[in-house]
Amino acid sequence: MKIMVLNCGSSSVKFQVIETSLEAIEANTDATLARGAVEKIGLSDSRLSLEVPGRKPHQEIAEILEHRAAVERVLKVLTSQEHGILADASEIEAVGHRMVHGGEKFASSVLVTPEVEAMIEECVVLAPLHNPHNLRGLTAARSLLPNVPHVAVFDTAFHQSMPPRAFIYGLPYELYTRHAIRRYGFHGTSHRYVSIRTANLLRRPLEELRVVTCHLGNGCSMAAVDRGRSVDTTMGFTPLEGLLMGTRCGDLDPAIVSWVLAMEDVTLAQLNAMLNKHSGLYGVSGVSSDMREIEKACTTGNRRACLALDIFCYRIKKYIGAYAAAMGGVDAVTFTGGIGENSALVRSHTLSDMAFFGIELDEEANVSAPPGQEVLVSRPGTRVAVAVVPTNEERVIARDTVRVLGRVMPSFAIPGNEAPR
Amino acid sequence: MMGRSIATRVSQAGLSVVVRDITKERTDKVAELLAADLDHEIERWGLTQSEKKAILARIEFTTELPKTAGCDLLIETINEDFAAKKQLILELDAVLAPEIPIIINTSTLSISELAHGLQNPERVLGMHFLYPVTTTRVVEVVKGQVTSDDAFEKARRFVRVLGKVPIQEFESPGFITTRVVMPLINEAAHVVMEGVASAAEVDLAIKLGYDFRYGPLEWADRIGLHRVLNWLEHLFRETGEPKFRPCPVIRKLVRAGHTGATVGKGFFNYDSERSRLDRLPDDTPKLS
Repeated sequence: MKIMVLNCGSSSVKFQVIETSLEAIEANTDATLARGAVEKIGLSDSRLSLEVPGRKPHQEIAEILEHRAAVERVLKVLTSQEHGILADASEIEAVGHRMVHGGEKFASSVLVTPEVEAMIEECVVLAPLHNPHNLRGLTAARSLLPNVPHVAVFDTAFHQSMPPRAFIYGLPYELYTRHAIRRYGFHGTSHRYVSIRTANLLRRPLEELRVVTCHLGNGCSMAAVDRGRSVDTTMGFTPLEGLLMGTRCGDLDPAIVSWVLAMEDVTLAQLNAMLNKHSGLYGVSGVSSDMREIEKACTTGNRRACLALDIFCYRIKKYIGAYAAAMGGVDAVTFTGGIGENSALVRSHTLSDMAFFGIELDEEANVSAPPGQEVLVSRPGTRVAVAVVPTNEERVIARDTVRVLGRVMPSFAIPGNEAPR
Repeated sequence: MMGRSIATRVSQAGLSVVVRDITKERTDKVAELLAADLDHEIERWGLTQSEKKAILARIEFTTELPKTAGCDLLIETINEDFAAKKQLILELDAVLAPEIPIIINTSTLSISELAHGLQNPERVLGMHFLYPVTTTRVVEVVKGQVTSDDAFEKARRFVRVLGKVPIQEFESPGFITTRVVMPLINEAAHVVMEGVASAAEVDLAIKLGYDFRYGPLEWADRIGLHRVLNWLEHLFRETGEPKFRPCPVIRKLVRAGHTGATVGKGFFNYDSERSRLDRLPDDTPKLS
């Protein structure tokens, strides 16, 4: 079946059309038929781009003032004779929507009903920068494709299986009961996908494996996936916590925040921008937020670039140890995301001197890991496998859509896993 | 300064901006200062290099008035001079389509008086951006006597797009913010003049006592004492209220060219980054 996947931001709508089915999921043969985006929504020169495998990329510039018009335009180009891939919009059998935050309400992907839409609306307060736009896209798509099922897939849902000891902060408990301040974690679709693919690569059932997944892109997070369930993750109430990222600081003594606020005479907005956009690899190195640039600068002797690289890898190493302790051992460490998939140096530096732990990298396999492919880069026979698995969040959304429609997945929150209220 | 700050904020919100000034030298200077403002904000971690690029890419500079005809909304930000503003909006009225709102950026002048005699006076309304435009959350949106609901609503929506809160009000000298804050600044200056306390003590008392970000005199320095004097004189003329009669200390400082943070000296001394130099030992952040 043809699934349209939508990912709506404040001024953009990204889309893919994926051909998949329960059988294709099993055989890992689902295929992307088209992908593209509408950008600069709300302006007179909005841009729609479309890529279809084997064809020249297509672009349109037009005034697209809101999300509904953007989705309408996407449907139009997908069904156009010249550039499209569908004879009619009715070929789309379901729509999968990326939702950033499902709060504590959603522990897996769900079929969208008016009640579900209202529950997503209640999560807006937790992700005011993302959920409203996700919702706008959802509403637009439901009104334009009213006769097909719509499925919501949440970045946070996979981590809803974390126990309270992993998600409650050491703050006054009222902050949890009043404002739902707790660890939620993000990149859930990616962590889930790569843990499943790791089991496949090892030819072992996921239910037997303890996997540490490292999603290292511009945003970075790790998860402890214990027999298929996320039991801990590095990102927290927001995506700012945990690993060092391109421009985000990650773990920090919270007292630094109030100290800087008082001493530097900065506004809250400037402080937020400092932590989110001026920190991380960029803030430490002063060179770039791009790991490729950092590696290059380090090779030519830039000491701050080397330090940024060192901090980046050291934090991942620490969390591998922590998550092994949390799960009572580890069977595999999996790298994904732009950096995780492409930087042999980061993998090698992170996993150096971990033989005592059962981790031994096959340096040759690590350096020659082919891009875009699932491979093992650990020495054969070592206790802990190291895998490189390209992530594909759109594919997970399409697959979840199929599974939800086939009633393979449960919905709503996990009973018995909540903290006392 | 107000014009380039507004242009920056509008572009930051993702909208395209045309900045018009009368000569090429002036538009070049505005472009240079605007880029310097953005660099300063980057140093304060408020902005990234790529955001700066995007902001600059959306701003076009011109000396030709007809170039503004393609805009959906026009804001004038020339000096607080009635005759000059009147002349400009007469020219704009002839160039712009009748449905385009003309927004007067003023804190003291009468919108209705400025709109009088135009072909489309109903499109004229007032907007008072507060310093610093990029961070202050509020904008006063002021309805003149003949301003249409349509123009007023467009302006309010525009303020929301900028991520700010529109305060709707009817025209009155000084509107809300200037009318309320000017007597505070003036009275603080009187307290200093009477020798009750030093400027630093007066400011510290108000700042710590009422949890203000700045004391009234430092605030006046940051607004610019020449502007404060101009507003007070105008409010005094308009209302005849003695509370608006400018304190001689303010006039004295302005006459000496000590107009505040931008020139490095006003009630207090400032460095080239507009940071205050002569704080009292107790005027420091308290962490516990």
